[in-house]
Amino acid sequence: MKKSAFKKIEPYIWMLPSIILMVTMIAVPVFTVFKLSVSDISRSGVVKGFSGLENFQSIFASAKFWHTLQNTLVWTVVVVGMSTLLGFIIAMVLNQNFACRKIVRAIVVFPWATSLIIQSIVWKYIITADFGSLNVILKKLGIISRNINWTPNAAAYFAWECWIGIFVTIPFVTFCVLSGLQSIDDTYYEAADIDGASFWQKLYRITLPLLRPNLTVSTVLNIIYVFNSFPIIWTITKGDPADKTHTLATYLYKLAFTNGRMGQAAAVSVVGFVILCFCAGIYMILSLRAEKEEQ
Amino acid sequence: MKKSRKGLIKKIALYLFVLVLCAVILYPYFVMFTTAAKTREEMYALNMTILPKDWKWSNFVDVWSQAPILRYFLNSVIVAGGATCIAILCGVPAAYAMSRMQFKGKGFFLGAVIMSQMFAPVVLLMGIYRLMLDLNLTNNLLGLILLNAAFNQAFAIWLLRGTFLSISPEMEQAAKIDGCGSVGSLTRVLLPMAAPGIVTTLIFVFINAWNEYTMALTLISTDTLKPITVGINVFNGFNMIQWQYMFATSLFATAPVIILFLCIEKHLVAGLTSGGVKG
Amino acid sequence: MKKILAMTLAVSMVLGLTACGGSGSSSSTETTAAATEAATEAATEAAAETETEAAAEATGDKVPLNVIISQYGNNTQEWWDGVFVPGFAEAHPEVDLTVEIVSWNDLYTVVANRITNNDAPDILNIDTFADYVADDLLMPAEDYTSDELKAKIIPSFWNANELDGTVWALPILASVRSLFYNKDILEAAGVENPPTTWDEVKDACAKIKAYNPDITPWSLDVSSDEGQAAFGYYTWNNGGGFVDESGNWALNSDANVESLNFIKEMVDAGYCFADPMNATRYPQQDAFNAGSLAMMIGPCNMISADSDVNYGVAPMPTNGGNSPVAFGVCDRLMAFKDDSAPDQDARTAAISAFFDYFYDQEVYSEYMVYEGFLPVTSDSSEYLPENAEKFNKCEANGGTPGENDYFATWCGMLADCDFYPASRAEWIDVKQGVIDAEQQVLEGADAKEVLDALQEDIAG
Repeated sequence: MKKSAFKKIEPYIWMLPSIILMVTMIAVPVFTVFKLSVSDISRSGVVKGFSGLENFQSIFASAKFWHTLQNTLVWTVVVVGMSTLLGFIIAMVLNQNFACRKIVRAIVVFPWATSLIIQSIVWKYIITADFGSLNVILKKLGIISRNINWTPNAAAYFAWECWIGIFVTIPFVTFCVLSGLQSIDDTYYEAADIDGASFWQKLYRITLPLLRPNLTVSTVLNIIYVFNSFPIIWTITKGDPADKTHTLATYLYKLAFTNGRMGQAAAVSVVGFVILCFCAGIYMILSLRAEKEEQ
Repeated sequence: MKKSRKGLIKKIALYLFVLVLCAVILYPYFVMFTTAAKTREEMYALNMTILPKDWKWSNFVDVWSQAPILRYFLNSVIVAGGATCIAILCGVPAAYAMSRMQFKGKGFFLGAVIMSQMFAPVVLLMGIYRLMLDLNLTNNLLGLILLNAAFNQAFAIWLLRGTFLSISPEMEQAAKIDGCGSVGSLTRVLLPMAAPGIVTTLIFVFINAWNEYTMALTLISTDTLKPITVGINVFNGFNMIQWQYMFATSLFATAPVIILFLCIEKHLVAGLTSGGVKG
Repeated sequence: MKKILAMTLAVSMVLGLTACGGSGSSSSTETTAAATEAATEAATEAAAETETEAAAEATGDKVPLNVIISQYGNNTQEWWDGVFVPGFAEAHPEVDLTVEIVSWNDLYTVVANRITNNDAPDILNIDTFADYVADDLLMPAEDYTSDELKAKIIPSFWNANELDGTVWALPILASVRSLFYNKDILEAAGVENPPTTWDEVKDACAKIKAYNPDITPWSLDVSSDEGQAAFGYYTWNNGGGFVDESGNWALNSDANVESLNFIKEMVDAGYCFADPMNATRYPQQDAFNAGSLAMMIGPCNMISADSDVNYGVAPMPTNGGNSPVAFGVCDRLMAFKDDSAPDQDARTAAISAFFDYFYDQEVYSEYMVYEGFLPVTSDSSEYLPENAEKFNKCEANGGTPGENDYFATWCGMLADCDFYPASRAEWIDVKQGVIDAEQQVLEGADAKEVLDALQEDIAG
């Protein structure tokens, strides 16, 4: 009797430390942010009281917010999509047998192991038109004769930021895929070879289906990370020129700490969270359906 | 004959691809290295060169006395190390319960774990600051340790649970029949078998905490408590940007993480597989 | 008996300090730790010595004072930690002073977060204060400024901090911006005198460009870092500006529209660095110091110690026959209210003591030489042009003795400067707004439309 009662609560005891940690450090701030999003907060940061949906109304009325939302979407899709594609290709190559494979694999880890802030600083230095390293190298190699302005407008900046995002995300995808590739039994391919299957047939029929779990992990995690990514854009442009290169994360940071609009910033946080929840919902439904199909 | 020719072309294409890949990846590090060895005047001079005109190796030594870099490093090690310990200590039992036990609300907890992953620190900064103030932990490394541990909890549980699920529970059941309790079967049987997955989780959390920027930026204001990611900004000071020191520091900050990564590369792949398949 | 008494004292001291710690120091854990340490020490000492009572009592009553100072240079921290804090502690043992140095990058974040959480510093060094006044967070400057101090602050600076008839802040230091030019480049390019009008600027730029296309002729910074300064440089010297003669916002005046168009013209002609929307003033100063930038409007202390550029300083170039307006920047020190402080009088006295000590002729002059900024007190502005050599510059500026000439030249210009209308409530929005307007114009938007929209937004 006593034992079965203990059995009932045992799992919760096992999880208790983790729950305490996450509730205090994450749930409490989440609650505060939700509260702030419906509060009237003065510019110097004093909470004046409840303001209903006013903060949400004012961000929805701002063209900058909608532009930012669009950017966030582009940013997430492009960075996650491209890094998955490129990461996959690189993983396929690294799975081949060639000399110095070990060294190349080690090198691919580099961008992952480097702090985003450092990666961003160095890229900012590289693409600066007037003192930047890229122009110097191209000039010395004789490819260009005059400095090229790599960032003539907001779109160009945003493209560079996406590139840096892709650059730092690729290794994670590569290693997720690589781990999957190495667990695929060679006999599948041998059988396919006997049947005379082409490279593409093998890719679609064997590799991709077997890699699905790995690709799911990397894609889901990357969507969350990239969606909330902050250091790259903050270091390169701070959302400038004219607030055209923001994503939600940098926009809310600027609203809160440069423009002194904490309430609106909290509202942007909530919007971002709702969007991710929506994506999570879709993911859950899809994965449940997949599970059912398997059964 | 035809086949070997095709093989040769394939081989050349392969090596070309790898060569370009490595060049692109290593380019930023090359820039960091060469710029770190330049003098300040050279940075903005006319007729810039790729390599320094005269290599100023002393930059790599001077940088340590220009700012409390060693202190920043120590802070980073403390924060990342502490966060890793706490994240694993809390994560292992939770993952164990979620992979080996049946209980009410398991699905809810799993969902909550995934949900928690969606709140990036930057989105919650205002709330986090408030909390740290209430706990008296602003401008305090312990605060950063706890926060980093918490924000990596979801990832840790996910990876660990995947690892545990990929290991058949038969051995543990055998151990239990032999009189081991849950704790015994976890520590004596499961953990040793799950070692690669645990190492992977460890490294992941460590690297995430080591690279964390926004929380440290907001919470730490005392110079001697800054971790390296924030501390590096001293060279982006009020009146000048000292690229050479910034990049020298960057190299020093990156090297240990890369070495760490290389040490576990094998486990990395293994851990991700197990974490992924059943995740 | 004595032992017990000492222990009680020590314990009450810890309690007392912990209670005070909540009043506004972010490092209250440190304070508590220090207090515990001090208490243990006091207890051990008391066992051996007899005089500890008085000492413990003296430290037990210490008034905590938390000050945030912004980072003015690479060595700001060293001066405050190494010179000011120990000196102040000696002069005022009754105050427990903690000074935090915060970089301008983080300053707004740190302050906003602390205010939101009722943890404002006692004294803050920042550039604006209108928002804090709107929320009734500040103490009027009269409450803590001694008569002597008030008498020596240059009146125009004192009055610049007035809002609705009350002065809310004290100026901490000032700097003046003017046109710096590289004499050698201008001479080699065939430009005889530094340009005085916008037309001459364009002409000089064209000549420099023709002489050596690798040299950038002109400098422009419309980044979010300090784009509002560029707005001031050009509009003020074109008869426009942020406000009209009667003090109302006048952001969309014709003169302002013309100024933004001039900025765009300069960028389009390739006379500036390729990326004025992101390149802050600092790399451009470095470029000037390295000799790859020919002309730049910059602050008085922008020439670095190791630069060997042969430079001259000229008045701001103007347009439309306007006379040049020198551009002054002035940051502020302000004291926050703290209703939770147990002894308001003691707190105010501590704040007064801080200011009196800071603006003391020797201390203040030393700091001005150290950072290379200009004094806002009359005694130091008279003292420094003859005595700057007594003090040393900070290490990043060479660590050499100050130069009397530097202060003689620039202190003289300070009197005729125009400043940002930073005491107004809308200033933060205006500052962001003009930066945004500049960037939009450079991105191709119509200057008139953009400024009309901004004016509507601010004053409409």
